Amino acid sequence: MTYGKKEILLQLYGEAADTEKLRSLLRDEELRQEHAVLSETKFRLDLLEKERPDTAIVDAIVAAAASNGGTPHAKRLDRPARARSPRRRTVLISALSIAAVVLVGTGIGLDWFGGSSGLSASQQSPAMASHEDDLVPPESLHQLVPTQQLHSLASRTDPRLAWDDASPILDMHRRIQTMRPASPLDWGEAAVPLESLPGSGPGRLQMTGSSRQ
Amino acid sequence: MHPADEILVARYVEAADQTAFRTLLERHQERVFGYLRGMVRDRDVANDLFQETFLRVIRALNEERGSYTRQDKFLAWVLRIARNAALDHLRARKKWQDIAPEDDGDESVWWDRLPDDAPSALDIIRGKDDVDLLRACIDRLSPEQREVVLLRHESDLTFREIADLTGCSINTALGRMRYALINLRRMMEDVRQSEFLPVTN
Repeated sequence: MTYGKKEILLQLYGEAADTEKLRSLLRDEELRQEHAVLSETKFRLDLLEKERPDTAIVDAIVAAAASNGGTPHAKRLDRPARARSPRRRTVLISALSIAAVVLVGTGIGLDWFGGSSGLSASQQSPAMASHEDDLVPPESLHQLVPTQQLHSLASRTDPRLAWDDASPILDMHRRIQTMRPASPLDWGEAAVPLESLPGSGPGRLQMTGSSRQ
Repeated sequence: MHPADEILVARYVEAADQTAFRTLLERHQERVFGYLRGMVRDRDVANDLFQETFLRVIRALNEERGSYTRQDKFLAWVLRIARNAALDHLRARKKWQDIAPEDDGDESVWWDRLPDDAPSALDIIRGKDDVDLLRACIDRLSPEQREVVLLRHESDLTFREIADLTGCSINTALGRMRYALINLRRMMEDVRQSEFLPVTN
């Protein structure tokens, strides 16, 4: 902005240092036009009526100033709620509808893929589950199935784990293990005649039914 | 002879003179409210912000007395609080959501990114009279030009005070005012001409 235009504006609003300068500025045709345009609009703006806040707001502020020296106990005056514009309401309803559709769709999708993932089916059919164990790496199984469900699933398909759960059999197995070092025989070997055992010589062991001599 | 702002402030702060505070409030209510009304373009919101502004003023005078240094600029101080309240409101309305942090120092960039919810030319034509037309045209000014017009005509601040308040140079404030006046005149002429145009469909 040139010095002349700036000075015109300051003169127009009464903020120029030298009020006598306007006359000399207006000798310039361009500045005279500038002054005419700006002063016309300024005149219209000067005619605008001043707006005041609602009386209730002013009273509430004065009451706040009087009570407890102001705040923090001063309360704001709540104005009555305004009805939302139809356009805003339409936009809000549309947004909520879209969100509901997305949520329902997501739920159906999860249910669909979760139902066909084989968890419930494998629980009903151990044979099928064992095949799936062959195909699906254990890491991915852990990602899909909770740990407790995985253990119960495994107990149905793995005979060793099921055997482990049978405590009387386990107990018997432990007893056999403790008896084992006392005998040179291994379980499962072919039957051996009693006489061939060490320490079964004369005077020690006798065949059943043989008479003593 | 009306007591100066500083005397009224002293009476309120030191002697809890409620009448002094009411006098201050009523003296400046149009200047503050006119600015807020023009900034947010909504009377109800302007009422809320006006109340918020003066509650902050009360709090500052009573609890943070150092925040007002009594430099014979009570109105400018109140308007600074009002401006902050208006900007807080605009931010809360998510109008500033796309502002990058590095733009914080450039006020014109802030304003430029605000979505324009000013009335359309058709809305302006529907105005009842010249006053409505002029107010609608002010609403359609760019925010930084509108703010200078409001601070000068509604709040009666000098261009120096406007520059201090808005954080720009006095030349920038003057330039914004000049363009605002030119644009207002042009907009009003355009609207008047469009009223006489034949309706084409």
